[in-house]
Amino acid sequence: MITFDIPEFLFAMKVTVVDALKTVIDPELHVNIVDLGMVYHVKVDDINKCILIEMTLSSRNCPMSESILSAVKNSIIRTFPDYQAEVSLVWEPAWNYRTIPEAGLRKLRGL
Amino acid sequence: MSTIGHNNPLYKIVSTHYLIAGLFFLVLAGMLLFSLEALSGHYFQPKILAMTHTAALGWGSMIIFGALYQLLPVILETKLYSIKLAWASITFFVPGIVLLVYCFWIFDPGMYMQIAGVLVFTAIILFNLNVFFTVKYKKQESIFQEFIITACLWLTLTALLGLLMVFNFQYSFLQKDHLHFLRLHAHMGIAGWFLMLIIGVSAKLLPMFLISEYEKKHLLLFAYYCINAALLLFLLDGYLHGINGYTYFVWLLGVTGVCFYLFYIFRCFQSRIRKDVDLPMVKSLFSFVFLAAGILILPFILYYHLKNDAFAVNLSTLYGSLIFMGWISLLILGQTFKTLPYIVWVKHYEQLTGKVKTPLPSDLINKGLLYAQSFAFLLFLLAFISGFLFSSFTLKSIAAGSLAVTALSYFAHLIVLLLHQTKTEDYDHI
Repeated sequence: MITFDIPEFLFAMKVTVVDALKTVIDPELHVNIVDLGMVYHVKVDDINKCILIEMTLSSRNCPMSESILSAVKNSIIRTFPDYQAEVSLVWEPAWNYRTIPEAGLRKLRGL
Repeated sequence: MSTIGHNNPLYKIVSTHYLIAGLFFLVLAGMLLFSLEALSGHYFQPKILAMTHTAALGWGSMIIFGALYQLLPVILETKLYSIKLAWASITFFVPGIVLLVYCFWIFDPGMYMQIAGVLVFTAIILFNLNVFFTVKYKKQESIFQEFIITACLWLTLTALLGLLMVFNFQYSFLQKDHLHFLRLHAHMGIAGWFLMLIIGVSAKLLPMFLISEYEKKHLLLFAYYCINAALLLFLLDGYLHGINGYTYFVWLLGVTGVCFYLFYIFRCFQSRIRKDVDLPMVKSLFSFVFLAAGILILPFILYYHLKNDAFAVNLSTLYGSLIFMGWISLLILGQTFKTLPYIVWVKHYEQLTGKVKTPLPSDLINKGLLYAQSFAFLLFLLAFISGFLFSSFTLKSIAAGSLAVTALSYFAHLIVLLLHQTKTEDYDHI
């Protein structure tokens, strides 16, 4: 479940940010990082024009870590050209298969 | 953070290993085409020895070395100790294997074979140093690293015994005959090196690829102790007394270990979240059928051996073929196209993701070549095993032709992957 810290008057951004993040696909699992439950928190700082994404990865030495993180950054900048993007990698709570949301599970099961 | 960046030398060392292994696979297929008659005879003869070492070192171990350089950081969650050491290892390994195989093929057990043996042994020591130092700097311990380290130790012992046997051809210092040591050498390689390593790596990667949360690692621990105990007993008893009735018990202990591992893999497969299984994974899982088939032949080899029946020799060749060409080759053919597309993809798309739409690693695979290779290899296995059972030269010829097609399509696929051109699409156009 993603938590949001977005000013009320920018509330419409919430859907657009999530849509942008949904274009980032895990290269092995073939499912986007939102549906996999890897994005934990989204913060929009309208004063400094910055969007902060707090997320995790499937493992600490994921060989795809750099490509996933740069994809997240690029997807935000592509969607919000006036904003900067920052990605913060966190390991708590640890991601595992039990934390995958229902939407992600359905996709993984090919439903 | 990434292990294989755009200019990262890991890409070069890994792809070089894959390419050279692909070339050795081609050579192996060519050797089989020209030595079908040899398969009907005893396994201790020049051409069979040349083919076995091409398969075990040039094909199997070469690709395992390359894959481990790529996968060790993923499995052990730490960086590879040294790329330079990896280059040093392959610099000794390739000329060593070429010379060794050539010396076996023409059977020249003199100075050149000794030089080849020393080169191969040095390459293995350098490889092992790289693995040991990588493990040493790892923070947490895991069962996977136990398997990998143990496999490396067995590889060293296998190579050392092989080296001693090479020198023994000229200086005759070993107390017992070569066939006696060949049996020990082969089983240290098969059960100690290949089986230990494949268990260690697959036990970590198969659940990752299948998305399974099955975590009963004690099954792996049982497998570890049973297989190693069986191998140690086999070596000790085999050295002192040769093959005897007691060897059935040793076999049973080893089989129990393998069963623990196969049950672990089965439970991972059963509890997987991802329901669709791609062709490379199907091949990888199917390869274990050949491991099981090979192991089930062993008591029959023992039975005929104890009866001094020559059929034991034929069964031994079939056993070796099932292990190297069935289990190990099928696993490599499957896993190559699970792992190689990733390093190629990272090289081309790591910095582009999110900016433009990029293909996924699995999109880099050429489906036509993959199906051609799979079909040809299936035909090889069917024709080879039935040709062996019915002593049919025609079927063996079909098998050799099919293996050549497999090796050609495999190598072509490697080239296609490594020459991949970056292809992207703007999000606006989608």
